[in-house]
Amino acid sequence: MSAAQTTLQRTPVKPFYFNTSAHLMRVTKYKANTLSELLDALRDCPEDSIFQHTFRTLEEHHFIRAGFSNDFAHWALAACKEPSLAEALASVDVREFTSVAELRERFIQILERYLRENPESGERVADETFYFCASDTVVVPTSFQAHSLHEFTEGMRGVSLHSIHHHFIEARLRIKLMSNDFSQWLHEDAGLTDTARSLNRIDIYTASLEDVRQQIVRILEKSLT
Amino acid sequence: MEPVKTEPVASTTPSERAFDHALSSKTERRTAPRTWETPPAPVPSPHLDDYQSIVGSAELDELRFLARDLKGKTLKMVNSTAVGGGVAEMLNRLVPMLAELEVVTHWDIITGGNDFFEVTKAFHNALHGAEYELTRHAQEIFLTCNEQNRQRMQFNEDVVVIHDPQPAALVLGRQDHPARWIWRCHIDLSNPHPQVWGFLRPFIEQFDAAIVSSQSFARQLPIPQYLFYPCIDPLSEKNKPLDDSFVQKVCDEFGVDRSRPIVTQVSRFDRLKDPVGVVQAFKLARKYVDCQLVLAGGGASDDPEGAIVLAEVREAAGNDPDIIILDLPPWCALEINALQQASTVVVQKSIKEGFGLTVTEALWKGKPTIAGAVGGIPNQVIDKLTGMLVHSVEGCAYQIRYLLTHPEFAAQMGRNGREHVKENFLMTTNVRRWLLLMQIMLRSAPA
Repeated sequence: MSAAQTTLQRTPVKPFYFNTSAHLMRVTKYKANTLSELLDALRDCPEDSIFQHTFRTLEEHHFIRAGFSNDFAHWALAACKEPSLAEALASVDVREFTSVAELRERFIQILERYLRENPESGERVADETFYFCASDTVVVPTSFQAHSLHEFTEGMRGVSLHSIHHHFIEARLRIKLMSNDFSQWLHEDAGLTDTARSLNRIDIYTASLEDVRQQIVRILEKSLT
Repeated sequence: MEPVKTEPVASTTPSERAFDHALSSKTERRTAPRTWETPPAPVPSPHLDDYQSIVGSAELDELRFLARDLKGKTLKMVNSTAVGGGVAEMLNRLVPMLAELEVVTHWDIITGGNDFFEVTKAFHNALHGAEYELTRHAQEIFLTCNEQNRQRMQFNEDVVVIHDPQPAALVLGRQDHPARWIWRCHIDLSNPHPQVWGFLRPFIEQFDAAIVSSQSFARQLPIPQYLFYPCIDPLSEKNKPLDDSFVQKVCDEFGVDRSRPIVTQVSRFDRLKDPVGVVQAFKLARKYVDCQLVLAGGGASDDPEGAIVLAEVREAAGNDPDIIILDLPPWCALEINALQQASTVVVQKSIKEGFGLTVTEALWKGKPTIAGAVGGIPNQVIDKLTGMLVHSVEGCAYQIRYLLTHPEFAAQMGRNGREHVKENFLMTTNVRRWLLLMQIMLRSAPA
């Protein structure tokens, strides 16, 4: 029996249930017209605001392949005309964080350092106000579930991009691991550790979410053949 | 499907004469555009499945799953008019879609005399920042009419949504009903008249939540304020895909040459849309790149100021044969759609704007779009990613030149713009928001 056939016949310990999360945006009381105000609000705003302007914005702009990683970076460039700060803020990779508190701290550090080195930038009024928003989230099931790698691949093709985001990007906040729901299932329940690792290496910042889906499908197809 | 149209006849109706008059002297030699003399019969609302080819079956499944948890729950919408205006238009689409998802939705309209609607019209303008003297008499008219409607209406639903300020005081009766109450504000509250807002605010604070159309419209309130962007219906006359033969026919009738680049702005002849600025930008751009300008709008026949602005636009255009000015009645949605689809670049060079649904329409059609960085436009146009934001005539001219000479970049931006609309500004997204809000409100309801 070939290795490929072994893979095909393996029955995962547990099925994978594809869910999705639906978010409703709220406007909070926090806003900023200068970088100093942004820093103050970053310290005080609720955690779901940090989530909204990082994880969620990636989902909302899933079709953009470059130049839009989080709202703070975008505002620093578009409204404050601070390209080096924007670059530093844009370099924050949400996949390196398993808690929003750590992510918030990272943005605060970057901004504090920038304002120490460029104090004149702190009080300059931006072209547009930054409004801190937040999301209320409802997790919704989908009609897809997988009892095999084949069904898992089919589910991957059929679910919405919101579902891909829910399992592949948001998941690390839920499972508190530098991983995602797909890789966890492939590793723990389907015994496909190499495939799980390959998925976790997909670069979400240089691809649209549809590109990410296609890359996942290609990796899974490779495992099936 | 091609619409049934009136046969081309001599311009005998006032609207036809207005169209002929609106054409520049050069374009008068072309065939006068044939347009509807009266509004066409309304098109039946599409079904949810009709959206599958646009948003995908997974998206529709998500709506059905969200709705499943609301089975047996009821929703009431209350506004002040059944026809005319953006709110009624939106509700006419939304209510049947919610019904199809088995979320029973009742739509009630408040009634009132002329004095009530004069007061609420003044409130509306004042909330947009206009000068106004709020008298005790106006307050009494507002409160009396709301009280009369409150006594007439039933509020047996699980969630009650009050649209805009007119029926806001209905909330005074909420203690008699266990429903969750939501205020849906469609108005720009970024700079409200302090007296009018001060009068309305105590009512608003009695709701469980508010909905605003832009981050900048939110006020400091003790209730959560949700963000519902305005949206377009991709299956409406204004936005549905059209046969190329129909697009060609409309262009032929309006004298638009599809073999050359077409730059279009669709908007009322209103100074806040800066149509004269668009003419100036076009003239600057055309020094370097061949193109035509189409300014398609309305408002000149029923608005004295619109007629003045139209005259200013004509004067700025002069006898330029490449500037085509069209004053169209509001029911020419298919023609507007065709002109947008025929365009190479769409401009919306507004100086002040609400949300800017004409921008949404252009983005949805995948058109490279240049727009003023005002109002809700930056929510739609992410500079250099989904469109180009501009702040001046010169900036607009430069971006016209750039997009016409960099078609690959323009096409990518157009694709991004369409995806942005698909994700955030379509009718189906709005249905999702309403379902979510109902779930959130009912989850947080006291036992």
